[in-house]
Amino acid sequence: MTPILELRNVRKAYGDFVAVDGVSMSVPAGSIFGLLGPNGAGKTSTIRMIMNITAPDSGEVLVFGHPRTPEDLRRIGYLPEERGLYRKMTVMDQLLFLAEIRGLKGSRIRPEIERWLERVDLAKWSKSKIEELSKGMQQKVQLIGTVLHQPDLLILDEPFSGLDPINQELFRELLQEYRAQGKSVVLSTHGMELAERMCDHICLISRGRAVLDGELRDIKRRVGGNAYRLVAEGDLERLKTMPEVEQATVQDGVVKLLLRPEAAGSAVLRRMVEFLEIHEFRSEEPELEQIFMKAVRDAA
Amino acid sequence: MRLNNVVAVGKREYLQRAKTKAFWIMTLILPLFVTAISVLPALLLSKSKANQRIVVVDETGKLGADLVAKMNANDTQTPKEATGRRNRDAAGMVVFKAQAEPPAADRKAQRADLDRRVLDKTIDAWVWISPGVFEDKPVEYHARSVSNVFTQETLRDDLSSIVRQERFRAAGIDPARVEELSGSVHLDPQRVSATGSRAEGSMGAALLAIVLFFILYISIIMWGQQVMQGVLEEKGSRVIEVVISSVTPFELMMGKLLGICLLGLTQLSIWLGTMLVVTAPGVVASMAFLPPGATLPSLSAVMLINFVLLFILGFLAYATLYAAIGASFNNLQEAQQAAGIAMVFVIIPVMVMYPVINDPNSRMATVLSLIPTFTPLLMPLRIAVDMPPLWELALAYALTVSFVIGMVWFCSKIYRVGILMYGKKPTFQEIWKWTRYA
Repeated sequence: MTPILELRNVRKAYGDFVAVDGVSMSVPAGSIFGLLGPNGAGKTSTIRMIMNITAPDSGEVLVFGHPRTPEDLRRIGYLPEERGLYRKMTVMDQLLFLAEIRGLKGSRIRPEIERWLERVDLAKWSKSKIEELSKGMQQKVQLIGTVLHQPDLLILDEPFSGLDPINQELFRELLQEYRAQGKSVVLSTHGMELAERMCDHICLISRGRAVLDGELRDIKRRVGGNAYRLVAEGDLERLKTMPEVEQATVQDGVVKLLLRPEAAGSAVLRRMVEFLEIHEFRSEEPELEQIFMKAVRDAA
Repeated sequence: MRLNNVVAVGKREYLQRAKTKAFWIMTLILPLFVTAISVLPALLLSKSKANQRIVVVDETGKLGADLVAKMNANDTQTPKEATGRRNRDAAGMVVFKAQAEPPAADRKAQRADLDRRVLDKTIDAWVWISPGVFEDKPVEYHARSVSNVFTQETLRDDLSSIVRQERFRAAGIDPARVEELSGSVHLDPQRVSATGSRAEGSMGAALLAIVLFFILYISIIMWGQQVMQGVLEEKGSRVIEVVISSVTPFELMMGKLLGICLLGLTQLSIWLGTMLVVTAPGVVASMAFLPPGATLPSLSAVMLINFVLLFILGFLAYATLYAAIGASFNNLQEAQQAAGIAMVFVIIPVMVMYPVINDPNSRMATVLSLIPTFTPLLMPLRIAVDMPPLWELALAYALTVSFVIGMVWFCSKIYRVGILMYGKKPTFQEIWKWTRYA
């Protein structure tokens, strides 16, 4: 199946600063694709090139299986990182306008907008001006504006910023429903935990480079065959000095261990017994956070 | 270009702005203001036409009776016709109730008594004529307020006339005969115009031209600024990134220009509508303020059409420039500096406004009004004062329309690049380079 969105060796520099350094990635149709990375990694720069807001210095952007045309942009719903709404407009006027510039008739789309507002609990705000809304509410209005015209592909830049956990969950539900209709979603976030719950495909970006790209399950299997959960007492800091240990993060007495691929769990356990009182030691799926940190270190 | 998009963008611009209080305040305040300054003074003055009770004390014994008779007679006759030189403004504004009193033996006590009566308001003023009046000594005028220019002017005219008569009499000349022989000659101004119409062209026309000029001037600047601020807001809030995925920059710019232009026309029609009412014959008491022989010309259909067309052209020429400036910079402060350059084109017409009104067909007026940046402001002046030849008008329109098309093309290129550009303030060289991007 042809990917719905594909980047080929895309590069963008601002003066001497290379924001995006030869990123290639491919978004399969019908997926929720996470563009992950810390702040300043190049996520927004990448998205802006996808949306034709800036032009890449080199490389190619393909959507729906062909080089992007202006027409294609109308089949994409885009939610920019910063608030992309007219501050002085009311919620309803704003959404009607966004629908109209996508070729929808205001009179026909109004009930649809009302349904959406009901769904995200904003019905009684429809006559309020955008500037009177909280950041989270504005984000919900923005999301409605992005999906109203039923685009085949959603590009969401940091959609969860400013949302409380309840609304994050609401967004997750909405996006999953959207995917269930056969559409695709690309979202950027720096929250690994969120991405882990939300995405089935990811691309990790660090310092303008894609360091990891693929299906989340595959990546976990491939990269994280050697992750363990350890509950123990003793000199936990010493774990970090062991040559077999790639990563050790301690939280509430629980240690997340990531071993080097060649290391064997049983051998490490034998060594640990020497300086720790061990209550629990078992193999588990690595967290995205661990994978990410490892990938960044490997790339450096 | 998708027309639907242009319409959607234009509709938004129009409705959002029309919903603001600022728009309606601005739209209604100007007509109120103009009506107020033209009608109110006349109204107020007609109220102040109150009787002036004046006591005249004449030490010469030769003038008092005549003066009182003349002052009281002014009630009925039109003084302008009587003297031929009295300012029309003052005419009929003052009604005297004069009475003569003989000078008492104790002058000091009499003066004090008169002052007291003024303060008591049993009289409004008193006049003291000393014998020195025949040697050009001034006549004393005592009143609670001495800033009532119309009253004083009328009084002075009456005094001069009586004193003059007395001087003639002393020289053995019959004052009535002098009056008969010294009537002034009146001037009847008639404009010679190419269209053959001798009716047009007067102070009133000039006044109308000035009013129209400033309406255009205010509208063009104000709505141009609105375009610029709108663009900056879109850019600042990144709304632009969303909009631009469905609407091309050109469609966005055109929609914005048309929406705001229509709103400007809405405002203009309210303003012109008010003017039509105010200048309609018979309505205005402000006629009193026009020089003799002048009437306020009402707006003719030809003028209205030209005025609206030139507003549209002027608006487009400047607003596209403002749109490009707004797109090029990141905030209002940066943009204002560049907007100052655009102002030069508006200020030059202001500087040449009076020469153009005075001689609308001079070479300077003709040449300047044909330069597209000035046409929208200068042509209405010429049309209002004296209709220029048709070929000149046609040429002016042709040049301005081509100029506007060029501006839209040029600015849309800057707009397209600038609107998505962030970061440092661009230099003019950089902006110039944008126009050459494909």
